Amino acid sequence: MTVMPAEGLFSLMWLLIALPLAGAAILLFTGRRSNAWGPYLGVLTVSASAVIGVLLLIEMMGLPTEERTITQVAYQWVFIGNFSVDLAFQLDQLSMVFILLITIVGSLIHIYSLGYMAHDPDKRKFFGYLNLFVAAMLLLVMANNYLLLYVGWEGVGVASYLLIGFWQQKRSAAAAAKKAFIINRVGDVGLSLAIMLMFVTFGSVTFSDVFGSATQASEGTLTAIGLLLLLAAAGKSAQFPLQAWLLDAMEGPTPVSALIHAATMVTAGVYLIARSNVIYNNAEIAAMAVIIVALITIFMGAIIGSAKDDIKKALAGSTMSQIGYMMLAVGLGPIGYVFAIFHLLTHGVFKAGLFLGAGSVMHGMNDNVNMRRYGALRSVMVITFITFMAGYLAIIGIPPFSGFWSKDEIIHAAFERGWFIGGAAVLAAGITGFYMTRMVAMTFFGKKRWETDAHPHESPAVMTIPLIILGLGSTFLGMALLFWGDIEAWLEPVVGYESEPTPLPTSAYIGITLAFVIVGSIIGWITYARREVPIEAPQGNWLTRAARKDLYGDAVNHALVVAPTNYAARALVWFDARIVDGFVNGSAAIVGGLSGRMRRTQSGFIRSYALSMVGGAVLVLLALVLVRI
Amino acid sequence: MNTFTAPEIDYVAIAPILIVAIAALLSVLTETFLPRSVRRPVQMILTLISLIGALIVLVINRDIRTITGGGAVAIDGPALVLMGTILILALLSAFLVAERSLDSLGDSFAPSAAALPGSVDEREFSARGYFQTEIWTLFLFAVLGMLAFVVANDLLFMFVALEVMSLPLYLMVGMARRRRLLSQEAALKYFVLGAFSSAFFIFGAGLVYGFAGSISLPEINDALASTAGETLLIVIGMAMLLVGLLFKVGAVPFHQWTPDVYQGAPTPITAFMGATVKVAAFGAMMRLLYVAFSGIQWDWEIILWAVSILSMIIGSLIALTQSDVKRMLAYSAIAQSGFILVGVVAASPSGISAVMFYLIAYGLVTVGTLAVISMVRDSTGEATHLSKWAGLGKKSPVLGAVMAVFMLSLAGIPLTSGFVIKFSVFAAGIAEGDTWLVIAAVVASIIAAFFYVRVIVVMFFSAPNENTASVAVPSIFTTITVAATVTATLVLGIIPQPMIDLLTNAGIFIR
Amino acid sequence: MSIDGELVVFIICGGLSVIGALGMVLSRKAVHSALFIAMVMINLAILYIANSAPFLGMVQIIVYTGAVMMLFLFVLMVVGVDSSDSLIETIRGQRLFGILFGVALAILLIGGIGSSLGDKPDIGLKAANDEFGGNVEGIANLIFSDYLFAFQATAALLITAGLGAVILTHREAWKPKASQKELSVARFMVGAGHPGNKPNPGVYARHNAVNTPAILPDGSLALDSVPEPVRSRDDSLIVDHRAVSTVVELVESEDQN
Repeated sequence: MTVMPAEGLFSLMWLLIALPLAGAAILLFTGRRSNAWGPYLGVLTVSASAVIGVLLLIEMMGLPTEERTITQVAYQWVFIGNFSVDLAFQLDQLSMVFILLITIVGSLIHIYSLGYMAHDPDKRKFFGYLNLFVAAMLLLVMANNYLLLYVGWEGVGVASYLLIGFWQQKRSAAAAAKKAFIINRVGDVGLSLAIMLMFVTFGSVTFSDVFGSATQASEGTLTAIGLLLLLAAAGKSAQFPLQAWLLDAMEGPTPVSALIHAATMVTAGVYLIARSNVIYNNAEIAAMAVIIVALITIFMGAIIGSAKDDIKKALAGSTMSQIGYMMLAVGLGPIGYVFAIFHLLTHGVFKAGLFLGAGSVMHGMNDNVNMRRYGALRSVMVITFITFMAGYLAIIGIPPFSGFWSKDEIIHAAFERGWFIGGAAVLAAGITGFYMTRMVAMTFFGKKRWETDAHPHESPAVMTIPLIILGLGSTFLGMALLFWGDIEAWLEPVVGYESEPTPLPTSAYIGITLAFVIVGSIIGWITYARREVPIEAPQGNWLTRAARKDLYGDAVNHALVVAPTNYAARALVWFDARIVDGFVNGSAAIVGGLSGRMRRTQSGFIRSYALSMVGGAVLVLLALVLVRI
Repeated sequence: MNTFTAPEIDYVAIAPILIVAIAALLSVLTETFLPRSVRRPVQMILTLISLIGALIVLVINRDIRTITGGGAVAIDGPALVLMGTILILALLSAFLVAERSLDSLGDSFAPSAAALPGSVDEREFSARGYFQTEIWTLFLFAVLGMLAFVVANDLLFMFVALEVMSLPLYLMVGMARRRRLLSQEAALKYFVLGAFSSAFFIFGAGLVYGFAGSISLPEINDALASTAGETLLIVIGMAMLLVGLLFKVGAVPFHQWTPDVYQGAPTPITAFMGATVKVAAFGAMMRLLYVAFSGIQWDWEIILWAVSILSMIIGSLIALTQSDVKRMLAYSAIAQSGFILVGVVAASPSGISAVMFYLIAYGLVTVGTLAVISMVRDSTGEATHLSKWAGLGKKSPVLGAVMAVFMLSLAGIPLTSGFVIKFSVFAAGIAEGDTWLVIAAVVASIIAAFFYVRVIVVMFFSAPNENTASVAVPSIFTTITVAATVTATLVLGIIPQPMIDLLTNAGIFIR
Repeated sequence: MSIDGELVVFIICGGLSVIGALGMVLSRKAVHSALFIAMVMINLAILYIANSAPFLGMVQIIVYTGAVMMLFLFVLMVVGVDSSDSLIETIRGQRLFGILFGVALAILLIGGIGSSLGDKPDIGLKAANDEFGGNVEGIANLIFSDYLFAFQATAALLITAGLGAVILTHREAWKPKASQKELSVARFMVGAGHPGNKPNPGVYARHNAVNTPAILPDGSLALDSVPEPVRSRDDSLIVDHRAVSTVVELVESEDQN
């Protein structure tokens, strides 16, 4: 693959990032003055980026396949000896589809927010953060090296933190933001370690250098890099065991949930692994780990989605599960990368539509998120209902809606790998049918269970138009990409594509999957539409109760991450206090600043410090003498 | 019988040092003859002018490369860069020393160091607005010692310079206005242990002389090159010299004084010594190792490998649980010494320039961080306990943002100078094949990131409570220092290339 | 190596200086330590002289033994000759590891240095001394040529040391010292209290501790007579009031008689 310098229209690619970044800067630094016109500026910058993105797509489609990887060095940042770090962008087929997803869905969500956030006193800030997010996300997918990707990675993390906690007066929102921030740090450690390891191994962190020499590195190193990247991806994409933050993140405004926590940022992990496909192709164990994590998450998400009564959290559970599918696909290797990205695109559209639909419902129901207090809304909110149904049919995978094409390909690829993985994927598809039917039934069908002061109504046009566009996308995008856009051929040069034979014909797998989905949906329909839904949640069985507690994700996090770190640190302090300071409890005295106690221990400290110096000197000399002898 | 021949002295080349020396002597005369009322402004102006003057002369001298003063002084690229670094950091710290609007009682120093802590005398001196203006004299002498330390080209001058640098520091550490017992205890510890480490240094110098028959660094190198076979004597001598220097930079296992001294010293002095002593000691260490001991590189690499890893890991891990900001910074300084040693071990021109870049950027961040700390106060003086920083970022966003920049830089996050310096040191390490050392450094820097970020978390994610300290309004002095350091940290992080090019050109020691 | 005069001197003086050094570390009283240092230094001076470095030897005796150590002794006399440190070690393992590391360091140094010195020729100072016509001249030459900067930098060191001593000890007067006249005027001022000597505490058959107040001629208790610290501790209570009243009665009856 040749890397082409950016010429002509492509030399404008930096504008993609610069526009929303400038928008964010203006909105955040002008203060209250921009409250009136600020939101429109925010919409404008992202839409302009979207237009540039479409132009670049058209330009790229005009190029021969092997010339579609284009780099642009915007600024040479650090250059030391043979090592350099550049602010450089890489535009290829993979980043192109992400750019379109981010800018187009981003524009729609910006427009929707004009209506949704109309009455918020700090709306310019909201749009500033959204712009910042779009800029950082574009940086993430356009970077030509891991380090710049890391900058974008942190940038989206910060934007996500700011947006989850946007309503700071809500205690739960502040806590959720903090939680997302901290859990994401764990993932980021993985990414930074992976980058360092790459730097140490390959002497460079650019994609072309790393992938070019990946086969020369030992498999152990590649496995370590792969596992560390997986940790990073798990953090950002809310995969097991770092999934706990996503459900809480729903405390943020609904457009944020749609843009960041459904369509774009949470898929960054999938992008990372797909981008690093060369590493996983050469590291069997790491790829297997991806599959395991993905399968666990698919079921966790589905189970959580089945039990939550909060419509946004149920959708968040479903997001986890669907991203699990994408992770599963990238874990499968060359048979799955293409479909992971395919599903990512269709999911980005239909899940954004579902979230915005949920936001529209909440908007009409006085921001109540409890599905047990909905019901029979289909006649009151017709547009929301229809677009939501399009998203519903897409996510459960009914042909010809877009989710069918992408999910079916993943399940098929899973069967190419083996019966167990394929079977698990099919079973989870059935559960998807169950929980999504439950959601639709509880919200739009059944009897009215509204709060007494609720007066549901359809949302204004500025909100419904994005819904309609996303609804159309949910319906047709899958077909369009597969038959007209030829997504397999489009992505194949970047991530590779191959197909393995399976024992049964393709139609058989489609049939099995559809059967499971329909059975799941019927169970959901019978349980939640045909029967009365109680307003108070029944106690439920142990699985429901566990799912309502996010399957004890917080407890697991505490046990796996928080506790060991604390113990390690405490053990060291204990060592320092007891062994090094020589069994004096003087360190406590120092810290406390109790001068009386300190004067007593003063001489003790000096002589024990001196002792450690002598000990050090002895060790140094001993080592040298031993080496010499 | 020979007759005396006076040594050639290139007065132009050593002019920056002479300027500081003359200023220090004038400062003594100021204390002696001028009335109390004018001493403080005179001292302050004298110090600032001499530091700036020395800096200007240094810039004019930038192309001088010479060995002068009977071989005792080497002025070369690293020496000029390190002297410049010391002067700039000293200047910025001098502004902190001059600050007197933060504390309601005056500046950061005891009104009379001789008055017993808590005595009537002390109260009276404080109430009468006395100042111990000798702090400026000591400050200048310490700068003089540091400048001499990085140009010293023989072991004797190096030792004397080490003492000229250290003695004023011992005194200044013990002169805090608040928490004087803590301060005096820290000074005593620093003094006793410092003397102990000097003993190692001078013992090592004796052994090296025994081997080489000379204490001039180039001649030691010649002796090593011309002697085949048994070199255990000089290896032991070199190791003991290193012990003395590693103590000064606070490397494990010679680090234990650091937390006590960082915490006990008046904050401007913590800033001054935290930044400049590292520059001086690492500068001298590099000159010693590269000029005199390049023949036994293998031996000192072993020591520095081990010390570097120990410092990074132990410093970072212990810092994790510190609840006092100054103490945490002290452990962080220990860890940072380990990182710098990675570049020293690399022993290549790119390693030298990486270390110098590290020293510059780290010094600026250190001064800036401590300047911020000196502004965070409650009724008992500086509020260094982390719990008192809860929600400070919400209460005072500008200060919080500045501190966040410094913490991110120390953690090595991109777009701050901290990233560039870590990157250049690690790159130098990898280029010289020290892969495992770099991996250890990477792991340690990940651990370290946690406690730096913790400060940010505490400042911005915790709600302010009744214990939260307030931020004192600084005068122009501290404002200059904070503004300069934070700007430099960001500029060096975003456009580091000019500095890297400058240092690459300066990265060669002369023999 | 044959046995010659220099070796004998070395064994005697070297041995004595080691003993002196050990004695300095191990002796309990500061004065003994100081004297042991003096012993070390004198022996070192002899060794210097024996190595044909008379200037160094004399300086060692005059400056260190004569001036510095005597100053130490003066200070110790002022502080109190009898003062001795507690030698109870409170840090567990400190002694053990101290001895361990000390011995290890000694072994490493002796072994390391010893193994490297095997066949080094004895050079001696003769050539160096003759170069400029004598030991003192040679040193002077070095000080003012190769080590000029070190010599000058030492001046900075000494100034700092002097300055430090002043800073740490010189307590400025924050008010003018009162003259004798002013003091006695102040003593007789109204409200200043007791102009003369205060009464001593009471001395009785059963009580003569300082916390026993004296009894004034009129029979009242003179609480002033109890020293201030004791009084502020509320400790001046051991007064047998019955005995006092008996005494008062006796006095009164004698007055009547």
